[in-house]
Amino acid sequence: MIELPRSTPSNSELNIKVIGLGGAGANVADRLQLDGLDGAELIAMNTDTQSLVGSVASVKVQLGRDTTRGLGAGGDPELGYAAADESADEIKAALEGASMVFICAGLGGGTGSGAAPLIANFARQQRALVVAFVTMPFTFEGRRRMAQAEEALESLRQQADVIICFENDRMGDAVNPRAGIQDAFVAADQTIVSGVRAIAGILRRRGLIHAGLDEIATVLRTQNSRSLFGFGEADGDNRAHVAIERALRNPLMDRGRLLADVQSILVHVAGGPSMTLNEVTLLMEELNRHVSDSTRLLFSTAVDPQLGGKMCVAILGALGAFERLPESVPRPAKALPPPVMAPVPEREWIAVAPPPKLEECPKTEPDGAVAEPVAAVAPRVARVGRSGLQQKPTREQKQEQMTFEPVNRGRFEKSEPTIVDGQDLDVPAFMRMNVRVK
Amino acid sequence: MPNEDFIVGLEIGTSKVCAVVAEGRPDGTVKINGVGYAPSRGVRKGEIVDFETAGKCVREALADAEEKSDIMIGSVYLAVSGGHIESFNNRGLVNIPPEREEICEDDFEEVQAAAREVSIPPPNQFLHSVLQHYYVDGQDGVLNPIGMMGTALEADFHIIHGVGTRIKNSIRCVKELDIEVEDVVFGPLASAQVVLDMDQKNQGALVIDVGAGTTGYVVYADGAVKHSGCLAVGGDHITNDLSLGLRIPMARAEKLKTEEGSVRLGRSSPGERVVLKDETGFAGKEIEREMLNTIIHCRVRETFELVKKRLDESGASMDFLGAGVQLTGGSSTMVGIDELAQEIFGLPVHLTCVKGTMSGPTNAFDNPQYSCAIGVVKYAHAMTAGIRRPGLFRRIARRIPFFNNLL
Ligand SMILES: Nc1nc2c(ncn2[C@@H]2O[C@H](COP(=O)(O)OP(=O)(O)OP(=O)(O)O)[C@@H](O)[C@H]2O)c(=O)[nH]1
Ligand SMILES: Nc1ncnc2c1ncn2[C@@H]1O[C@H](COP(=O)(O)OP(=O)(O)OP(=O)(O)O)[C@@H](O)[C@H]1O
Ligand SMILES: [Mg+2]
Ligand SMILES: [Mg+2]
Repeated sequence: MIELPRSTPSNSELNIKVIGLGGAGANVADRLQLDGLDGAELIAMNTDTQSLVGSVASVKVQLGRDTTRGLGAGGDPELGYAAADESADEIKAALEGASMVFICAGLGGGTGSGAAPLIANFARQQRALVVAFVTMPFTFEGRRRMAQAEEALESLRQQADVIICFENDRMGDAVNPRAGIQDAFVAADQTIVSGVRAIAGILRRRGLIHAGLDEIATVLRTQNSRSLFGFGEADGDNRAHVAIERALRNPLMDRGRLLADVQSILVHVAGGPSMTLNEVTLLMEELNRHVSDSTRLLFSTAVDPQLGGKMCVAILGALGAFERLPESVPRPAKALPPPVMAPVPEREWIAVAPPPKLEECPKTEPDGAVAEPVAAVAPRVARVGRSGLQQKPTREQKQEQMTFEPVNRGRFEKSEPTIVDGQDLDVPAFMRMNVRVK
Repeated sequence: MPNEDFIVGLEIGTSKVCAVVAEGRPDGTVKINGVGYAPSRGVRKGEIVDFETAGKCVREALADAEEKSDIMIGSVYLAVSGGHIESFNNRGLVNIPPEREEICEDDFEEVQAAAREVSIPPPNQFLHSVLQHYYVDGQDGVLNPIGMMGTALEADFHIIHGVGTRIKNSIRCVKELDIEVEDVVFGPLASAQVVLDMDQKNQGALVIDVGAGTTGYVVYADGAVKHSGCLAVGGDHITNDLSLGLRIPMARAEKLKTEEGSVRLGRSSPGERVVLKDETGFAGKEIEREMLNTIIHCRVRETFELVKKRLDESGASMDFLGAGVQLTGGSSTMVGIDELAQEIFGLPVHLTCVKGTMSGPTNAFDNPQYSCAIGVVKYAHAMTAGIRRPGLFRRIARRIPFFNNLL
């Protein structure tokens, strides 16, 4: 991976912190740490000291020294919340200076469910953009865990800018709830890791960094809309095609139909040194067929020697983000008492410079590594500032979380996707027919 | 010692492996001695994705077949399937040299080769060239041109091809078990051999084998194969849709589908619910019946509409299919599927298993999941009849699908 030069002035603007919260979150953080995620700080936060001791994260925060005494939250979100509250100062200190915070947690237990909304709130108080990657428990974990997870998700919605939610039930052929559960978790972890990596990857590209953390934030800021996420990786002769196909195969991407409605998307393409401009063009052409003309496309590429012969693409975006409640309407907080959360400060977004053109991009990083946005598609619509968004009131306050088939595609994982007449038939027919199922 | 007189048909299906041991009779009929079965794993959309696991299942099914039939299996005829398999029709022509006016066997081989002189994608290989009709000097209605006088022999073929490596994958899986593969057969074509009798082939029919991972189809008209193909969509997709739409694990979705599912809409009373029974570790869940059926309906409708579209595009006329639509394969047991097929294809629809010219344990015939494997046996018997029979056709039967007109 390309090192982010630590002393550039943009650095302070781009301080990325990844928090692995609770047992599930710690596993994700460890995986990120082991795979290497340059330019981001990994922080493990847990009530459970044993898990913290085992973690390889560079920063560790024990939550609720007195509340839980180093034991876990025992599946009780209130305890998890109390623990985070007790350790508020430490959490804030750890978050200090972050411009972007990823919170990774498995919802359903005590620590992740209880602490995540509060930590998200702390992060937003620091004016960081908050992206939550969370999992919903397996059905077989029982109603209680599911209810706790749902409640936590609801609270998190009020705090995070983006929620990307994975349903464990969909993580694989969880035929026997006991067998294969570990595999399903690993699959979830991997998907979360690729998401974090993709966003961090985009942020680290220098040309785009200067152009707009702001822009990225606008794309990701989907408080009242659904998020889209797709990730695809492939090698071989046809890797550009296969990678984008895989990324598009997410059911909520709806093989392009949803992409057509999307207001703005982030696309990050990375590949080994053998990646050609031709391949990038091919991939973008394919993607463009699924995107409407008015969609703003924020695009970056990176050459990453670690990827070897592989090419990967990540797509992230927001759907219908124009709907928003006036700020004066109080937000219902179910799991947590409303007064506890500090009001989130209004962000002032700076004006954006247009994304750099190909010629303007630095060809070589100071350290010699290649990191160049091969091309950047200029915004095709005028940017809508945050204040603009606020003027359109709506009844719907919820951010619908997205659910998607993870990179592990469950039943159809190892098989070639069934694409007929440009439609991915592996995506449920009722979804593609827009039949509503409650 | 493996017994040479027996024919073994094998289908490595997406949901099950089925091996049928049968005895071919000189009159063209086959007698089934035993049917072996094993649930399959490591197969998706009709193709093997995990060799080791799939191999174990094949071994299990073959062992079961050996036990049921009391016959040792040394070789099999293998059904192959998958979304990569395609077809087209083409005519071959050979001019008969003037010094020899009589059409001979070699001309037949040549005309077939001529029909194959069409470019198929480089990774593809020919799977079948099924004879449709002969023309001698432009005249049709010729049943057997060999020995006829003429200056030009033409023949229409239905040509089926698929990706070579994928076809070989299935073969490899069997060979690794030290079992010989005599020949491969396109699965839906095999199914059609047991689902349709000679009359129905002449009247014209559309056979659809709706399996777990694939939906294969074959159109017969005037006694010949007019079109065939395979969509990599099947019962697994229904299950997957249910799992996703209702948020239940695959295993539960599968059970719900087979026990409670239907493609009929608007038949349940408002708010009618299906209760997912509590099992170990699972909280009970209630599902609205109409929702369940809607999800299934959407998938089945789409699948049939795609088949219809492909047939329309191929130019295969649906007007002359006097024997209507014959549905087979495990997913054809879905409640109400015949009504939906009737609506979409505009033809009478029948649910079928195995017809005529078969004898053996009857329970095997009742199950539409076995159509393919039994069909393989019948296909193989038809193809090799000449080998077993002394005489003129002995030499050619193996190499050219002369007996394809039996299909
Ligand atoms: N992706 C992933 N999910 C996990 C993993 N382990 C558990 N989960 C899921 O995450 C949920 C929460 O579990 P934990 O993270 O262990 O709980 P916690 O947040 O540490 O809470 P306490 O243990 O009660 O303090 C579970 O209900 C599982 O659905 C894992 O390793 N990976
Ligand atoms: N009562 C039923 N209702 C609906 N579907 C059923 C029923 N019984 C079996 N099925 C479905 O039939 C399918 C299995 O059919 P079959 O054995 O013909 O497939 P296969 O040969 O294994 O697969 P393929 O040929 O596609 O590789 C499974 O998807 C199963 O869910
Ligand atoms: Mg824990
Ligand atoms: Mg089958």
